[in-house]
Amino acid sequence: MELTDADLVARVLVDDDQHAFGELVRRHQSAVRGLLRQLTRTDVALADDLAQQTFLRAYKNIRSFRGEARFSTWLYRIAYNCFREDARRRKELVGIDEEKLQTQHDPQVTDPGLRHDLMRALSLLPLNERSAVLLCCQNGLSHDEASRVLDIPLGTVKTNVLRGREKLKRMLADWGPN
Amino acid sequence: MKQVNQEDWLDQKLREATPYIDDEGFTARVLQQLPPPQRRHDLLRAVILLGMAFLASVLAYVVSGGGRFVSVTFERLAALPALWVFALALSSGLVIAAAGATAAVSRSRASLT
Repeated sequence: MELTDADLVARVLVDDDQHAFGELVRRHQSAVRGLLRQLTRTDVALADDLAQQTFLRAYKNIRSFRGEARFSTWLYRIAYNCFREDARRRKELVGIDEEKLQTQHDPQVTDPGLRHDLMRALSLLPLNERSAVLLCCQNGLSHDEASRVLDIPLGTVKTNVLRGREKLKRMLADWGPN
Repeated sequence: MKQVNQEDWLDQKLREATPYIDDEGFTARVLQQLPPPQRRHDLLRAVILLGMAFLASVLAYVVSGGGRFVSVTFERLAALPALWVFALALSSGLVIAAAGATAAVSRSRASLT
């Protein structure tokens, strides 16, 4: 029988079992690295550095995980904090303005692939909308979970998801269902 | 209805746009950077503390003439006025409660960070 995340966390807490922590990393590395890649606008090297920091920080602070939220939600919160601290250092916490958003959309010329357009459209969203859309629409978190991860009010999350979705739909209008 | 379909479509495409990322040594790199397990250090510390406590107890027993001081102390305690015993018990209780509250507050602060 496969151990649950809670079982593995308990093993890390009681026995300092690094194999159990390794299993947690294996389970969640794809989601955490994926989220960070999107947040860093597909800077793979930076995203992987931040993902490593995320797991190291999770290991050091695992005693503060109380099991009230899912382990993945707790990890997303650490990942988002790592990203935000790094972005503050790099002074990159700026959104993309609407004008740039309009002019850069030219799917027919640059790339015929929907996935590529979707990724690019995501990267053009301001950070607050991008992170809310990524967490709720892509990673399946509830608005409440996302508000805990992003440390912002529930209403703000809902607004950001709504606005982000609207912009994505506008940018991907050529691809959408008729 | 069209709005709902569009949202479903968008969510579906967003989920499909992030395929599973292969580990490719990522977990191994994380594990390499973990601090060494604390367990052995904790065990060693516990053994040293227990050993010292045992030696101190043996030494105290021998030096005090076979532990006669224990019975003498109890005799003295029994001779104390009731008010003194009550004050002693109350102050001990207060010290322990204060220590417990301090530990709880510092622990809850640590879990918030």
